[in-house]
Amino acid sequence: MTINRNIAFTLLEISREFPEKAAVSCGADVLSYSKLVSVVCDVARKLAPALQSGRCGVLGSRSIEACVAILGTAWAGGTYVPISLKYPEQRLIELLDLLDLDALIVDRAGIRLLSDAVRAHCPRLVLIPADAPGEFVAETAGHEVAPLADLEHPVFVSEDHLAYIEFTSGTTGKPKGVMVSAGAVASYIEAMRGWYDFGPDDRAAETCDITFDLSVHNMLMTWHAGACLHIMRPLDLVAPARFINKHQITTWLSVPSLVGIMKQTGKLAPGSLPSLRISLFCGEPLPLQVARDWAAAAPNSIVDNIYGPTEATIACLRQPWSGQGVETGIVTRSRDIVAIGDPYPGMKTMIVDADLNPLPDQVPGEIALGGRQLAEGYFAQDALTAERFPTIKGERWYLTGDRGYRDADGIFHHLGRLDNQVKVNGHRVELEEIDMQMRKAAGTDMACAVAWPVAHGSAQGIVGFSAGGEADADTIRGNLRDRLPPHMVPSRVHVLDALPLNGSGKIDRKALAVMLDDNQAQPELAS
Amino acid sequence: MQAENLKLVRDTISNILVDRGQPPEFNDTESLFDSGKLDSLAAVNLLMTLESEFGIDLSDPDFEITQIDTFAAIMDLLRENAMA
Repeated sequence: MTINRNIAFTLLEISREFPEKAAVSCGADVLSYSKLVSVVCDVARKLAPALQSGRCGVLGSRSIEACVAILGTAWAGGTYVPISLKYPEQRLIELLDLLDLDALIVDRAGIRLLSDAVRAHCPRLVLIPADAPGEFVAETAGHEVAPLADLEHPVFVSEDHLAYIEFTSGTTGKPKGVMVSAGAVASYIEAMRGWYDFGPDDRAAETCDITFDLSVHNMLMTWHAGACLHIMRPLDLVAPARFINKHQITTWLSVPSLVGIMKQTGKLAPGSLPSLRISLFCGEPLPLQVARDWAAAAPNSIVDNIYGPTEATIACLRQPWSGQGVETGIVTRSRDIVAIGDPYPGMKTMIVDADLNPLPDQVPGEIALGGRQLAEGYFAQDALTAERFPTIKGERWYLTGDRGYRDADGIFHHLGRLDNQVKVNGHRVELEEIDMQMRKAAGTDMACAVAWPVAHGSAQGIVGFSAGGEADADTIRGNLRDRLPPHMVPSRVHVLDALPLNGSGKIDRKALAVMLDDNQAQPELAS
Repeated sequence: MQAENLKLVRDTISNILVDRGQPPEFNDTESLFDSGKLDSLAAVNLLMTLESEFGIDLSDPDFEITQIDTFAAIMDLLRENAMA
């Protein structure tokens, strides 16, 4: 018999086993597994008659409603598409036009963004929160609701059904929608359950926005185990230690940057996080010191590093780091970061040169990934999909754009990016996308963005440069705010007389970064 | 609450909003962070200001982080702190 790969499938089984157990909690609101299934099924019944492409947008994050919207879409046999609450109006409209959604589901934060201009681009069916947590109503009356009998179980989907589409920054200025199949998600979950004994007594933290695929791990690993997901509201991120202790969190997955916030506010004392037993980091290089500080703060927890792009479903390499006070993990010495280890079951990794030839051990090249967790490609971008997912010797691979090497023991190491993609406080950003908007905003071709300062392969911020345009720094930043999400808007813009060029006549980003290092820029500073 | 304190907190929030690409105006009872309007780094900036300018002790176990979600709540917090 073929298995139902619906990501909501095990929810039904778990709710029968633990009907009264808490499934998800946010602030003062808690939903039990039986209640969760009931509201999820209700959303699915509202969505089902509208499904054609299957794509349902979820404009929300960090709320019970966002979780119910995701599960309800899955239950109905759809594909959920998280839409960032941080998008400016114009970007939101462009995305809605591109996606051609069957329905849009918004949480309380999402409603705020439905301006008249945005509404004009929304699908006919818009679900908005009702009074009780997790309940929704259709914004306009008269929509058909599917009979309960049709949706008592999550709709059957096979391995190749698209579970979700996650958007990331794209070099051409168009965000890239990574299409991930239900089979890829199932493969990830199976691998993780083989290593980690997530159980019904666990209390997990949702550390991420739903636009970041670590949220898929946090949601699904928790609900597959019958555990409870405690959603961190934006203010909780400021004091994660307080949140962990208040809710006695036992399992954790976040970007290392979040630990940076804790260190900044002095909240990562040794022994201060005794409830944790599984701590995972992903999404950025894991600095040695962060791993050590966390292990000291959480003495009862293992600390592991997992690596992988959205294009290979959450993570697909793993390097165990420490447990019971013993550091057993491998370190990438040249970077002072934890290594990325070896591939998940069903996944393959190789290092290739620019002509896609495999390289021997110890020789750095591009990290290529293959296997069951590979995404189906980019939404409505076939040329880009063909370029990034080439067939090499008869097999499909994904070229990560990450530089790395395999050591003599077969362990993989990450050495940063080959291109201009950077991580800014955990957000994946293509500098070319900012460049393009900078040129428009500054009214000159001599404009670009530099990730600066950079530590352990993660950028702390973005600085913009322009020369020869009419616009001053404030005007440029003002224009950028209308076009880019906040994390992509340069925190400073320097208007110079000229920009340095490299040998091939391109704007020399490295020279600009050095200029910032040397503090030579005598700018017209925008605060 | 002294007028200059009010102004300092209001300006700090306005600056953060502008920095994050939003108009500087906000209502006293409007949710700043829980609504998704501002992110956690913005909250850190605001907390740092409250700590350095008003002596709010963030490590105090009684300090409830949700108390900084609205301008009105921050004002209450500062008033209580001034009396303590």
